[in-house]
Amino acid sequence: MSTEKQVKVALVSCGSEYAGVQGELEKVTASVNAKLIFPEIDIASLDTIGRDFGIEAASPDLRLMMARARAVVEGITDVDGVFITSCFRCAEAAIVRNEVRRYINRHSNIPVISYSFTERTTAATLMTRMEALTTIARRKHLLARERQSGLTAGIDSGSTTTKAVIMKDDKIIGQGWVPTIKVIDSATEAFNHALEEAGVKAEEIQAIGTTGYGRFLVGEHFKAQLIQEEITVNSKGAVYLADRQKGPATVIDIGGMDNKAISVTDGIPGMFTMGGICAGASGRFLDMTAKRLGVDITELGALAVKGMQENVEMNSYCIVFGIQSLVNSLAKGSRPEDVAAAACHSVVEQIFEQQLQEVDVKEPLILVGGSSLIEGVPKALSRLLKIDVLVPPNSHLIGAVGSALLASGFVEE
Amino acid sequence: MNNEEDIITKIVVISSDSVLPIDAAMKVYESENSITIKETCFGTMVTGPRASVNRVVEEIRAMDKNHIFVKERGFSPGDERRCRAVRGGGPRPGFHYLREEVQMLPIIGKALDAYDRHIPPAEIHHKEKIDVSKLKDIIESNL
Amino acid sequence: MVKVIIYPINSLILSDLVERFGHKPLAMMEKIKEKINTVGVDSPPLNITSEEPKMGLKYAAVEVPAGVRGRMAIVGPMIDEAEAAIIVNDASMAFGCMGCARTNELTKYLIRQRDIPILEVDYPRSEEEGMDFVYKIANFLKSLPLEEKQ
Repeated sequence: MSTEKQVKVALVSCGSEYAGVQGELEKVTASVNAKLIFPEIDIASLDTIGRDFGIEAASPDLRLMMARARAVVEGITDVDGVFITSCFRCAEAAIVRNEVRRYINRHSNIPVISYSFTERTTAATLMTRMEALTTIARRKHLLARERQSGLTAGIDSGSTTTKAVIMKDDKIIGQGWVPTIKVIDSATEAFNHALEEAGVKAEEIQAIGTTGYGRFLVGEHFKAQLIQEEITVNSKGAVYLADRQKGPATVIDIGGMDNKAISVTDGIPGMFTMGGICAGASGRFLDMTAKRLGVDITELGALAVKGMQENVEMNSYCIVFGIQSLVNSLAKGSRPEDVAAAACHSVVEQIFEQQLQEVDVKEPLILVGGSSLIEGVPKALSRLLKIDVLVPPNSHLIGAVGSALLASGFVEE
Repeated sequence: MNNEEDIITKIVVISSDSVLPIDAAMKVYESENSITIKETCFGTMVTGPRASVNRVVEEIRAMDKNHIFVKERGFSPGDERRCRAVRGGGPRPGFHYLREEVQMLPIIGKALDAYDRHIPPAEIHHKEKIDVSKLKDIIESNL
Repeated sequence: MVKVIIYPINSLILSDLVERFGHKPLAMMEKIKEKINTVGVDSPPLNITSEEPKMGLKYAAVEVPAGVRGRMAIVGPMIDEAEAAIIVNDASMAFGCMGCARTNELTKYLIRQRDIPILEVDYPRSEEEGMDFVYKIANFLKSLPLEEKQ
């Protein structure tokens, strides 16, 4: 990867130098062989940018932000990607940040990420995002791949479960899905399951791709050709499995620890957000709900579909309070079906409230990740957004399939 | 911080009809050798030990005192943490504000001249927003 | 000689005028110089680390954005130290340390809370106003004691 050219990322920010996070921003960009640059602007534009862009923000630095965004769009500054950032909890900056992001998105093909920081934001927090930004900028040809070829494997080392697939000539021929305990041990176990089911030996695999939290460790262990963050991999995997490779799509991945909402065009992520304030908005909360209801996680979905979420008041903004309201409602005699439905609703409500404002939701909406198999979740999401939610076959294997697909780019090389 | 070697940078902005930046530079070359200078689009940056910088800056200012302006600068010229050549892209935020202020300097200089000559300032009348009833009258008379 | 905090805190014109009339400007530039020369701290470009937003808690509550508190960690002590103040209202656009409107509102408020001589003038829009601007500032600065305070 070190032979790849350095990616130029335009920093469009206000306040990052004063909030103590500038050093972290520089650190993370350097670690993905990128460089932050301050876009050159037409100085005279600062006098009128508020009206020209349309937001007469009181803060001069926000006007500078708009002027810098325009310089990027107009090509006055030549960059490969844009990182837009402002302080968390600043309403004025949030308005400008979101509109600047949309503006760049609408008027250029340059990938953009947007983030609001606190003084506690570290390089590690930003790693996946920055890795995705630079990948989109430098590996467009790889991401354009629409068919898997040869014999390849993909391993998705997630925070809760590890998935592996073996693919041959555009088909999944083996798969493994195990809980993540020790990263390498679990990856080996999932990989072996997949190999066994496929009836092939590890030595026959022509290329391996890894993704997920454990991607670096697992990738190194298996000498993977491709080690890639889950934003680009999952986007690719989702549109591939859903057979929607061309045109716009929105991918929502409810993971065990965090969620991703990605706006995709032709399989390449444009805007994306990661996070969720608390595990209350993730698959973890559903796992705990199933345990508390005394059912297996695989049965929670069917239970939820039979229930009415309106009958139970639940807000999983925080996982601790979420569990508390779950316990309370059961104590008050609520039906398990209603509680299960409420839990599913609460999780998708968090995603809606915390994340979907930052990506433009375009149909088809593809829901992936283990939680998509809990039928109550796509149902709740569909009800909330009032659009059809597509859950592709093997939606839980998204990362592994995306990795195996992209890794096949290395077979021909 | 080591105060014995208190190195500072002052930026001298010349807004004068009689003194050119090069004259200021010559002044520095004549008087001190512990000082380095750097010409920029808006003025001359003078770097060196505090006492020497202050002395030289006063000498330069005396060349046309009401039309030469000075402020201290945080970074020394070419500091890699701030230098656009090293860090890439456009200028730092402070540059834009300096540009704004420099445009105002001819007015400030004139005013300082007038102040020295004890010319009384003109009365300033700020326009107030017009009364709503007045606006109503205007609208009605124009419809 | 009186320590005069200026607003905008990085102004060339104000810094120059204060010094010209024999006083000491309290301005951002010197504070930044101190920051960037702090031995052992390496957080380019300004050496502001995650500690500053915490120090800023003296001036703004935790729900105030980190960028405001980080700036206040530098501006706040200057306000505390000031013996007089000149505030220019409606100044043309300033950036960087002056780039955040919320910080600027808080800075002006905290200056106004101090029991010190304060001059407030509007940024000039014409030559006449420019003259008025300079005269007011000059007279204010002349009214401040020139000898060192004990």
